Amino acid sequence: MMKEMDYIRPNSIEEAVQILSDPGRRGKLLAGGTDLLVQKRVDPPDYDCFVDISRLSEIQQIRVSDGVFYLGAGVTHAVIAQDPLILKYVSFLAQACLSVGSPQIRNTGTLGGNVANAAACADSLPALVCLDAVAHLRSKRGERQMLVTELVKGPHETALETDELITHFTFLQPPPGVKTHFIKIGRRNAQSISRLSIAAMGRKDKNGNVDFIRICPGAATPRTMRFTEVETYLMGKQACEELYVDAGQRMAARMVEITGVRWSTEYKEVALKAITERVLREVLG
Amino acid sequence: MSDLQYKYIGKPADRVDALEKVTGAAKYVGDYYLPDMLYARALRSELPHARIKHLDTRPALNVPGVIAVITSEDFIDHGRFGFPVKDHFALAFEKVRYVGQAIAAVAAETPEAALNGVKAIICELEPLPGVFDMDHALDPDAPQVGFEREDHKHPNFLDMSPVYKGDPDEVLKDCPVVLHEEYRTVHQEHSYLETEGALAIPTSDGGVTVYCNNQSPFITKGNLVAVLGLDPIKVRVIQPHVGGSFGGKDDLNYLTACQVAALALKAKRPVRMTFSREESMIASYKRDAMHMRITLGADKDGTLRACKAIHTLDSGAYSSQSPFTAWRASIHAMGAYRYDAVKVEVTSVYTNNGFSGAFRGFGNTEACFGIESAIDELAEKLGMDPIDFRLKNCLRVGDVTPHGQKLTESVGLVECLETVRKLSDWDRKRAEYARQTSQDTRCGIGVAVLFHGTSLGAEGVDCATNTIEILPDYSVACASGLTDYGQGPRTVYTLITAEELGISPERVRILLADTDTAIDSGPTVASRSTILAGNAMRVAAQTLARTLNFAAADMLKCEPQRVMRIGEAYVGPNEEPVSWEKVVDHARSMGLVLSAHGKWSAPEIHWDHHKGTGTPYFGYHFAAQVAEVQVDLRIGKTQVLNIWAAHDTGKVIFPQGALGQVYGGITQGLGYALMEEAIYADGYLQSVNFDTYLIPTSMDVPDMTARFVETNFSPGPYGAKNIAEPAMVPTAPAIVNAIYHATGKRIRVLPADLERVALGKSLHKRGSPVSCKVGLKVK
Ligand SMILES: Cc1cc2nc3c(=O)[nH]c(=O)nc-3n(C[C@H](O)[C@H](O)[C@H](O)COP(=O)(O)OP(=O)(O)OC[C@H]3O[C@@H](n4cnc5c(N)ncnc54)[C@H](O)[C@@H]3O)c2cc1C
Repeated sequence: MMKEMDYIRPNSIEEAVQILSDPGRRGKLLAGGTDLLVQKRVDPPDYDCFVDISRLSEIQQIRVSDGVFYLGAGVTHAVIAQDPLILKYVSFLAQACLSVGSPQIRNTGTLGGNVANAAACADSLPALVCLDAVAHLRSKRGERQMLVTELVKGPHETALETDELITHFTFLQPPPGVKTHFIKIGRRNAQSISRLSIAAMGRKDKNGNVDFIRICPGAATPRTMRFTEVETYLMGKQACEELYVDAGQRMAARMVEITGVRWSTEYKEVALKAITERVLREVLG
Repeated sequence: MSDLQYKYIGKPADRVDALEKVTGAAKYVGDYYLPDMLYARALRSELPHARIKHLDTRPALNVPGVIAVITSEDFIDHGRFGFPVKDHFALAFEKVRYVGQAIAAVAAETPEAALNGVKAIICELEPLPGVFDMDHALDPDAPQVGFEREDHKHPNFLDMSPVYKGDPDEVLKDCPVVLHEEYRTVHQEHSYLETEGALAIPTSDGGVTVYCNNQSPFITKGNLVAVLGLDPIKVRVIQPHVGGSFGGKDDLNYLTACQVAALALKAKRPVRMTFSREESMIASYKRDAMHMRITLGADKDGTLRACKAIHTLDSGAYSSQSPFTAWRASIHAMGAYRYDAVKVEVTSVYTNNGFSGAFRGFGNTEACFGIESAIDELAEKLGMDPIDFRLKNCLRVGDVTPHGQKLTESVGLVECLETVRKLSDWDRKRAEYARQTSQDTRCGIGVAVLFHGTSLGAEGVDCATNTIEILPDYSVACASGLTDYGQGPRTVYTLITAEELGISPERVRILLADTDTAIDSGPTVASRSTILAGNAMRVAAQTLARTLNFAAADMLKCEPQRVMRIGEAYVGPNEEPVSWEKVVDHARSMGLVLSAHGKWSAPEIHWDHHKGTGTPYFGYHFAAQVAEVQVDLRIGKTQVLNIWAAHDTGKVIFPQGALGQVYGGITQGLGYALMEEAIYADGYLQSVNFDTYLIPTSMDVPDMTARFVETNFSPGPYGAKNIAEPAMVPTAPAIVNAIYHATGKRIRVLPADLERVALGKSLHKRGSPVSCKVGLKVK
């Protein structure tokens, strides 16, 4: 009988990338397995060895130093959702991770897996992209860094090489007074794929004018990205209901510009307007 | 009725199978492994409609590990199958009519080898044009799905079930308020936890024993006897624990049993087939989809006068239970109301959209959504409160139903309506929510009522026989042909036996269903187990109790009528109490028979299928449910906050079981209302697993408050009726009526998903055959 699959559990990043670069096998990183093992059921795998990094403590840290957040790729959604530093400074990432699947999935699924799997509906992406998060990649060939929004090129398409591992993500702690928020639309309240989502960071100055804004919809465009045109439009304007409505229309228009009209567009336009208004109300209100 | 009268009936109890199920000790078909057992897999059609041009199974036999292959040639008359219409085959013969239909089956040493065997079979299918729209199934030029008919009606015509009273067209003419609307429901997947499976073991006498997770083992047996040509004595069907059914473990399981049995006889080894989730979803039948056209007429004062309900039911590729489903839909299509005139016609047709069969509610779930939506719309037109309008017109004791049946007892609908009105704080919330102006989120509250005929109705012979026996260890073993696939009848039988014998329920053991030990009592369907087999159990236990009483009187030296019970012990006027064990011993020494049969037959009823009148059922369950929702108007998301449910179940025998059915029914009804839709695109099911076929999670379930209105139902055991199906039926219309109250937008097509609520229409991705094709070959 043909053997199904090899399985190796490296004890360090070093060892892991060593295995990935071994020309004698086609290794595949296995973190929580919540995407990989499901896919393997229907798509014939193009690898012959699981490289299990789920117990690598090196990639499971969360810390902030000198205003820089360091988030290990192996951290689970459950851990992020209740991490005090995350909740304090970038609570929308906790909201996003808390919206993933169910307790079982959140206890196993990781941030690195969510990003590397690169589903258009991956729930951590909008917040990470808003934060201009940088992914740190390691291979036997060395290290490199890439913005998450560039690493994830499209649905299930990344700039990762097959021998590369995401070790961690970094991003700047948001400036004081910046609020963050995340909204997800799903067809049910748990185990639900995002029909659409949105993440935003914002602040207004003492005159009530927008002086910090970043906004990124999820499951709206093939590549998850900030809608900088809308951010530019909002900057300096008086934060008010009319502005949020205006921004919602601009977000929807921009989305259709990027994607063209698809089967779901009619709904997504309406819904994106609504959640744009709501997210802005939260971060600027 | 006073509960003091009973010791166990209506009192809190544990489910008899709870412990073994939660500890994992309970065995299901997929848990059985026998030495030498083979694994079976079916080759299934990847086309919705095609002629089988060439089928060569020999290459499969060359695949390492493959031991046997079968086709329709291996059965008598090609395994012709089906009730009430014999339009199906144990394996496809000449034609396939739906994607997922089994064409051949392979038994092999491993599941992998079986799959490789399936892939090696040469099967050339010549595609035929299909019928995918039920509204065009009877067009003169529609492709032919069904067989030619002797009466020369359209081959895609299956059946038409009418109910007629007077001439509604005449009455409608002088109704000042008339409503005409169309409603649609969609196919629903049963979503049982355990997929289909069967294990066949050839026996030394040339027969076969089959373990199958079916609903009705005697039907499996009947089919095995027919398609294999075996002596009935040599065919035994055992039903192990079953992981849910909801009506879904009839036909496909019977077909599967036939396939594994034929393979086992051919291979002379045990053969088991268990389905992957994908295979289960693709191959299994669904709840039918229905297109309903309803006209209602009323006087200005809110008196309902006339109802016309002209429905089409999509039966898919085969009849399965659809003629019966359509009949039940027709009986309930006008709702639980009085009318001067009624015309109902429910027509079932063949298409190539999978196939439809039994599913909880059985036509009434569909019909109730239609009529309870229409009634709500009419109440609004009349400017009446929906509960007031229903109270004004609903059936009460003494009324004659539109079918011509006089209701003489056990009609608790008014009380159900009043109960939910009070529990839900209806009047205050109706008024308060009507004043909302938010364009963001709004709340709403809606109601729906139901009547649901008990048991089979005039569909067939309606009786059951249970058996009882005292074993040497003083335990009591009972058997019933009406089986437990999760609904809980084994606990009901236990409580009835304990009550009648005056013994602790721990002594009672209800055997798992086995055609060698139980007596054929018809199908386990139609929420009939508690009434039919509950009565049979009671009769059997009473017979045995009389025998023991006689023995006790002999021991206590008194007249039998003077024997009393204290706990399990027997006491007479003169002597010390004697234990149950002693009385059993004494009865044995007297040579008395410590076993009994108890048979119960439902009251005789009659239905005239042409005139559309008669007595369709010998009793009815009544219920009212109120739903409170919060609707996000902008994104179309509905959160159900509360459901209040009042059900006239008659006497409740097993309260936790009844509550479990209500909670589960509401949850399944919520799925039907808001998210469940088995979409067929050109005959291909679009969701083949639970990643895309969505059912509610525990996070979607609202607070639920259930009350039982226990009107006495004299034919039922202790006055009991039923609950399993009726629990889910009114939920979807109650929710959709609440959505209307919140949004002012009427949803006439299920489900009320994000797009329908936000945009008033559904949006779907272009259909694709890929999920089915991949799903049928999943390892
Ligand atoms: C029932 C269910 C519900 C779900 N619900 C949601 C949801 O609501 N929202 C959502 O966004 N997702 C959801 N998912 C998807 C999945 O759980 C997440 O994407 C999760 O974050 C994946 O992480 P993982 O650790 O399990 O990844 P794995 O499955 O182990 O890996 C996924 C991919 O990433 C690669 N990979 C993993 N770690 C690294 C690394 N450090 N460096 C490079 N490559 C790596 C793997 O090789 C693989 O290709 C759900 C999944 C299931 C089964």
